[in-house]
Amino acid sequence: MKTVKLIVVGFGTIGKGTLEVLRAKHRDLMEKQGCDVRVVAICEIDGTLVNGKGVNIDSVLKAAAAGKLRDHPDWKNMKSLQAIEEIEADIVLELTPGDIKTGEPGISHIKKALECGKHVVTSNKSPIALKFQELTALAEKKGLKLRYEATVGGAIPIINLYRDSLEINKVGSIYGILNGTSNYILTKMSEEDVSLETALKEAQELGIAERDPSYDINGTDTAVKLVILANSIMGKKISYKDISVKGIQDITPDAIELAGKHGFVIKLVGDVNGLEVSPRLVPLHHPLNVSGTLNAVMLDTDIAGTLTLIGHGAGKIQTASSVLADVIDIMKDMQDS
Amino acid sequence: MKVDTVLRLKDVPGMLIKALEPISSHGGNVISVTHSREEKGLVSVHVSFKVQDQSSLNLIRRALEKQRIIISEMAIEGRTYITKKSLSFILVGHVIDTDIRDTIDRINEVGMVSGIEVVMPAPNQKSSVLMDVEIDEKSNGILLSLVEKICKEKEFLLVRSL
Ligand SMILES: NC(=O)c1ccc[n+]([C@@H]2O[C@H](COP(=O)([O-])OP(=O)(O)OC[C@H]3O[C@@H](n4cnc5c(N)ncnc54)[C@H](OP(=O)(O)O)[C@@H]3O)[C@@H](O)[C@H]2O)c1
Repeated sequence: MKTVKLIVVGFGTIGKGTLEVLRAKHRDLMEKQGCDVRVVAICEIDGTLVNGKGVNIDSVLKAAAAGKLRDHPDWKNMKSLQAIEEIEADIVLELTPGDIKTGEPGISHIKKALECGKHVVTSNKSPIALKFQELTALAEKKGLKLRYEATVGGAIPIINLYRDSLEINKVGSIYGILNGTSNYILTKMSEEDVSLETALKEAQELGIAERDPSYDINGTDTAVKLVILANSIMGKKISYKDISVKGIQDITPDAIELAGKHGFVIKLVGDVNGLEVSPRLVPLHHPLNVSGTLNAVMLDTDIAGTLTLIGHGAGKIQTASSVLADVIDIMKDMQDS
Repeated sequence: MKVDTVLRLKDVPGMLIKALEPISSHGGNVISVTHSREEKGLVSVHVSFKVQDQSSLNLIRRALEKQRIIISEMAIEGRTYITKKSLSFILVGHVIDTDIRDTIDRINEVGMVSGIEVVMPAPNQKSSVLMDVEIDEKSNGILLSLVEKICKEKEFLLVRSL
């Protein structure tokens, strides 16, 4: 049986979720894919767990839960870039938080991995949004795969769906709800007639919104995802500054109520064709009227017609589904060649 | 020539007669009238009629428009001539204090404001105003840039329909 070795860079929510799913599905992967998937390194900001035969996922997750990762026998004082370069592996999973302005540390991690002959799977939006052409060109030059399904729409397969099943189509437009936090807030405001501040506070208490939710609310996060969709699916060559961005910060309960009276809900919609993120009136029975943290994306295509995808746009386990879909895809390619 | 129209009328008694009157008074011969109820207090009525020539038809159109009756579709001898659609949007800001009459007049130069609802929480707080505008499909872009311009000028947040 073929062994596939992974390096996980960034061991936060998604890193842990991915390991949990690997632990639960290890046998499935062996039976269905004929691959023994091993995690040979896990990089944190201040060091790395290293085990050439594969770390014991269970013991690592337990140590992490107890806040004792640094006491684990595999812990080494090794930086992520060094680990990516020196440790023998097939695929690097880049799962760190991305700085929207610089794309770091993700860009350096991805470049290093590709330069060292390793495929890359990432959930980190910023590097893909900021350096799409450069990174995809580098991967191509090296004959390696760079996959980023988890960067847009969490668990919803959009980029892979297009690549695997829709390539005969010309995509006329892609638009939808790509940010779960703002959608949760708008849903709360309309269902319970509360202010934006109250809805946000509740989202933070539930762990849905981050401590600094400004990128979710002011539309930045949605805009970054639009850049990725525009470049990867619609073949545009655009960057963040090409997008007109308006968030939900000025939406009032009055406006939401007024919309409701006339058969609409207000949603934060990203529109790839219009290069625009803005709050929009969506008819009550429209497929984009999804509630809570759900995301929804519509693709208008010339052959398949209109497709609507609805699902979890974030979440520890749900997002791992997309990360591992990319991993499996690369594994299949490795077996073919 | 045969003309098929869809008129959008306010759902109040007497509206239909008011709409048919200009047709017959300008020599139109009404062939059929069917109507279907709709939301938002408007009904769509399909009216087909025969008319002598283009100039009579123009007189009919002008008379209908004068009465603020919306011709949302028109086909002459089966060929579609105009299609109008109804657009809704919400403005959030000091919509009343920044001369709402001016806002409406400017929009009416491109389309026709057919419905308006205002929610005003308190005199110096921001109000929310929903407008329905009937517009020629072709002028969609012009209306949008006009509304965006007004919003920039008067510092409104625009929430337009999908
Ligand atoms: N959460 C979701 O549902 C979701 C969904 C889709 C995509 N994403 C994306 O996936 C990525 C990870 O998200 P997350 O929720 O897992 O974030 P997270 O919980 O903040 O985890 C990120 C982890 O990366 C570590 N890290 C930071 N800088 C590093 C470096 N230079 N080298 C190695 N590790 C480093 C962090 O360590 P410290 O804690 O010590 O800083 C942290 O453990 C982000 O780019 C996010 O936007 C998340």
